[in-house]
Amino acid sequence: MKPHRRKKLTIIAFIATGLGIAIGLSLYALSNAIDLFFTPSQIAAGEVNNGQRIRIGGMVKEGSVEKSQDSLHVEFIATDYSHDLRVRYDGILPDLFREGQGVVAEGMVANGVFEASRVLAKHDENYMSVEVKAALDAAERERSLPVMATEGGPSGT
Amino acid sequence: MWQWFFRLGSPKWFYEMSGKWLPWLLVLMTVLMSVGIFWALLFVPQDYQQGDTIRIMYVHVPVASISLACFPLMAVAGVITLVWKMKLADMVAKCAAPIGAWFTAVALATGAIWGQPIWGTWWAWDARLTSMLIQFFLLIGVIALRSAIESPDAAAKACALLAIVGAINVPIIKYSVEWWNTLHQPASDFSMDENSAFGPEIWVPLVIMIFAVYLFFVISLILSTRNEILQRERRSQWVMDIVANEKV
Amino acid sequence: MFEQIQFNSVTEFFQMGKYTFHVWSVYGLFSIFILVNLFLPRVQRRQFIREQRNKALRDAQLAKNTAGQQERESAKGESS
Repeated sequence: MKPHRRKKLTIIAFIATGLGIAIGLSLYALSNAIDLFFTPSQIAAGEVNNGQRIRIGGMVKEGSVEKSQDSLHVEFIATDYSHDLRVRYDGILPDLFREGQGVVAEGMVANGVFEASRVLAKHDENYMSVEVKAALDAAERERSLPVMATEGGPSGT
Repeated sequence: MWQWFFRLGSPKWFYEMSGKWLPWLLVLMTVLMSVGIFWALLFVPQDYQQGDTIRIMYVHVPVASISLACFPLMAVAGVITLVWKMKLADMVAKCAAPIGAWFTAVALATGAIWGQPIWGTWWAWDARLTSMLIQFFLLIGVIALRSAIESPDAAAKACALLAIVGAINVPIIKYSVEWWNTLHQPASDFSMDENSAFGPEIWVPLVIMIFAVYLFFVISLILSTRNEILQRERRSQWVMDIVANEKV
Repeated sequence: MFEQIQFNSVTEFFQMGKYTFHVWSVYGLFSIFILVNLFLPRVQRRQFIREQRNKALRDAQLAKNTAGQQERESAKGESS
């Protein structure tokens, strides 16, 4: 390679690395602002003021969804498996809102409860047919049955 | 050692070679695309949660992932333009920008149509969606910069620099779903097991569609680069011969 | 894997569960995207060739005219 070309290439490499580092650092510094939502743990740690409009995200806790009979009112618990947050919402839920699924809610914290004005479903990266899902669930049940039997064992004897 | 490199950089050589490849590429793309689309629309099972919207994945994922190839391509072409002043590299870079903008726009649009029923919103300002929108505007920026600068040489240099800078956005798009919490889900893990999440019955047609859309990207790029070559080399004898002999 | 069609009837196929609009608009958009990107370069190529031919014709005409003018001028010069 001719010297003047090598020089140009070095300059380009330097500019690109410099910019890359600068952008990387600023993204790192901004990472809280880039995150779409707060987790229930962050709420529990008091990172958010009461009445501040935010988004929270977590999993809908199994068995926690309570739907009102005569209105669109719904309550559920969003969890990140270390902290729980109760969410209240009046409105239409997206198709994929389900127990055990991810959820993102927009609203504000009031007295330890999250008053949501909008609820979005967060989809996971798993795609499978109804049959595969059923087979997986069956396998899961089979795996957990012997465990339950051994747990129940000592008390029976 | 550099001989092949500079031969590759000759517009006439590229024009002649690409003319020979094009029919084959088109045939291969048509076959893959038809198989992929038929498979995706008819044979892929409904997802246990999102039902038939899973078929949107077979368009959205290939288009979105190939749109990420555009900036690295333009950046490499930009480095070649700046260092070796190869004419062909700049022509490819110029033609890649609008095609990349199309791909990014289609990825954003199909994503919005998919998100509307599944997430409950067609848009969220999360890191993945926003960085993708930034890529779209960067590509529009590259196109605008090219047309704003009158001297072709200066325009080539400016666009090359912008492409190199813009390429930094690509890893951000790719890893946004891992670095930050987003509404968009992370990439799926391909699994060989039939009875698992994202097993072969889901991903085999996806891989076919990815190849098909990749070929489509390459073909559109070749087609518009050939036009660009004719335009820029219009005063050379071989282009005049083509103009005189081609039936229109 | 590649053996079973997922729909029992053509209507069911066109319906796509309850996502008729979503699935078909995505595939429609995709088809338009592909067709436009494959055919636009062809149209542009034809346009280029037509332009170049017209330009060549104009240039030839111009060359003939100027040549004719020069001839006339030189003839005038001789007669005077």
